[in-house]
Amino acid sequence: MSGSQTVILGEMPSLSKLYVNAAAAAARRRVLGTHGGTELPAYTHEVRGVKADVANLTAYQHLIGESASDVLPAGFIHALAFPLAMSVMNRDDFPLPLLGMIHLSNKVVQSAPVLFTQALDIRAQVENLRGHRAGTQLDVVAEVRAAGREEVRWRGVSTYLAKGVFLPGIDKPSVPVTPPPPFSVPDPTALWQLGVDTGRAYAAVSGDFNPIHLSVLTAKALGMRRSLAHGMYLASRALADVGAVRGDSFRWDVAFEAPVFLPARVALDISTVQADGGAWQRSGYVAWNPLSGRRHFSGSVAALP
Amino acid sequence: MSVNGPSVPRPQPAPAPAAGTSAVEAAAGKKEHGGAASSQLRRAVVVGGNRIPFARTGGAYTKSSNQDMLTAALDGLIARFGLQDERIGEVAAGAVLKHSRDFNLTREAVLGSALSAETPAYDLQQACATGLETVLGLANKIKLGQIDSAIAGGVDSASDAPIAVSEGLREVLLDLNRAKTVSRKLQVLSRLRPKDLAPDAPNTGEPRTGLSMGEHQALTTAQWKITREAQDELAFNSHRHLAAAYDAGFFDDLLTPYRGLSRDSNLRADTSLEKLATLKPVFGKNLGAAATMTAGNSTPLTDGASTVLLASEEWADAHDLPKLATIVDGEAAAVDFVHGKDGLLMAPAFAVPRLLARHNLTLADFDFFEVHEAFAGTVLSTLAAWEDEEFGRTRLGLDGAFGSIDRTKLNVNGSSLAAGHPFAATGGRIVASLAKMLHAQGQVNGRPARGLVSICAAGGQGVVAILEAL
Repeated sequence: MSGSQTVILGEMPSLSKLYVNAAAAAARRRVLGTHGGTELPAYTHEVRGVKADVANLTAYQHLIGESASDVLPAGFIHALAFPLAMSVMNRDDFPLPLLGMIHLSNKVVQSAPVLFTQALDIRAQVENLRGHRAGTQLDVVAEVRAAGREEVRWRGVSTYLAKGVFLPGIDKPSVPVTPPPPFSVPDPTALWQLGVDTGRAYAAVSGDFNPIHLSVLTAKALGMRRSLAHGMYLASRALADVGAVRGDSFRWDVAFEAPVFLPARVALDISTVQADGGAWQRSGYVAWNPLSGRRHFSGSVAALP
Repeated sequence: MSVNGPSVPRPQPAPAPAAGTSAVEAAAGKKEHGGAASSQLRRAVVVGGNRIPFARTGGAYTKSSNQDMLTAALDGLIARFGLQDERIGEVAAGAVLKHSRDFNLTREAVLGSALSAETPAYDLQQACATGLETVLGLANKIKLGQIDSAIAGGVDSASDAPIAVSEGLREVLLDLNRAKTVSRKLQVLSRLRPKDLAPDAPNTGEPRTGLSMGEHQALTTAQWKITREAQDELAFNSHRHLAAAYDAGFFDDLLTPYRGLSRDSNLRADTSLEKLATLKPVFGKNLGAAATMTAGNSTPLTDGASTVLLASEEWADAHDLPKLATIVDGEAAAVDFVHGKDGLLMAPAFAVPRLLARHNLTLADFDFFEVHEAFAGTVLSTLAAWEDEEFGRTRLGLDGAFGSIDRTKLNVNGSSLAAGHPFAATGGRIVASLAKMLHAQGQVNGRPARGLVSICAAGGQGVVAILEAL
């Protein structure tokens, strides 16, 4: 997080206010047009001394299927840092419309465990604005440290797509994307039954009340045919399914494809790779719609080198 | 019971083992004489333990489930002894207040822990004796050579207790599920009454008497004429000893902090006999002037979990782990409390004399007594029964009183009155602590230091055990 100016916020921004702001900004843009910027804001937002709420942590762990230990699940830290990441994208000098952005992928490196009792310094910034065949994408990077310490314990990179937004001077990728090999459905190792309230339940523990996840009506208001499951809810459940074998430090990646409209049944396959000595190396996971065979997401949890 | 000739000659040797046990004999390294069957067995040792601090109900663990707490205690044990990915011979634990969804509680906790997923596990339930019984059962498997390592444990949450639907609603729901037609379904539903909607919460009442455990103990306390002052003093000492043990760092390698607690939240380091004397009786109030049991000298409802790592000596050595004490032997007893022949919690008064007779021991041969403090009155009634000539003659079949204990050896690092008592977790707390004390004591008068564990349980039961230092 170098080369940018740090803005220290007094407290974690409120997500609901950020969503209202984003909606207002979207309306303003519709009337006044975009502000014409083609560069990402060179500002890092930081909040110091953040502490997790233990009741919220327990509720999150129970919902995701993690045992309620004192260690913050990697997905919980994402949710903890999310309002700060949103605040960077909510800045007036942010060139893309925040509402309607699509979460393409997420990469987390958990270098050391974070306990709920620890005060945390959290930083977020945006970088790597680049073209995508369907619009413009960028990375939102969040870093979590024990308060006052330099060592990064958790680093997350979330890649978002502003679909249909093409900024002047930012080209589509010049190399044509080779189509991925067709997905051949494996035998599932698990089957999730996701009720229609899955989005609301995750919103309650993560604080992410994005309307597309809450109900059919709020989702339709934003152009979705039904409400859909949060991507990070799905990825966090896959991480929980991998289990304690991952240890306290690991790399956790996910790439999202077809959204999961609620209610849903999701089939999951987890395959584990062991080293020669039998030590766990990596668990790959892939999830799909058992009726259509469409892939919802895939990723892996892997030991750090 | 130990291989190298313990202290205790056996009064009545069991029949010599049949041919074919030579492998066991060889393992025990003792072929020269037949002796008791148990002398052919190898030893089961306590390697160490780990628990989470116990929390008063409605406190720090309110939202934590039994599975959460058992997993937390287990993960602390795994971290302490480097058991990540280890396939343990067997894990046994249990809970007294248990949700029906937790039918595989211990196995689920193992699956959520860092142990190898190939570690088998089973649940056990024997009221407050659950934890100690898991220790004895697993120790026996180790002695027999069936397994080389084991984790015993227990957990209970009075906060996250299961609530059942009423019997009326349950029957309607089951019949509704069986009803095929709409008219039949409506007919079944019409049986539902508003009172059926009231939930059925667990309580500490005995099913056959309707009396709570405290009311039962109040009868026993009055029967043995235990004074209010004696009960308050026992409670005071429990708090004083537990606080001193924390201050001395005794629990540093027995406990992992959880949910912000690093000490048992029931502990009142600053309590005094004067403060305890101000509390009003809560049990036995219908006994009039004889009501002596208060919230101060009774154990509160508590949440918590404990685990104990057991092993054969070979396994402990191969893993370079400590050997604190051996599990020598155990005994269960039960009393006919239903019509008042004996007090509900008096079974240990019978179990201990039987166990000691089997080993030719007296109370004077012990260096530590861990008598679970369900209520101060329970401990004192048990001691009074042992000191009573008539009880010894008529109930225990002895020539006189069973004996008395040196009170300075009783619950020296505090017990349930101060720490709290998450039912199934108490056995593991006591065994791990006692093993550590015995190991620190080492030899006494040329023999290994010896400790007695006594735990009373609902249903008029009790389980007791002998441990010896290594």
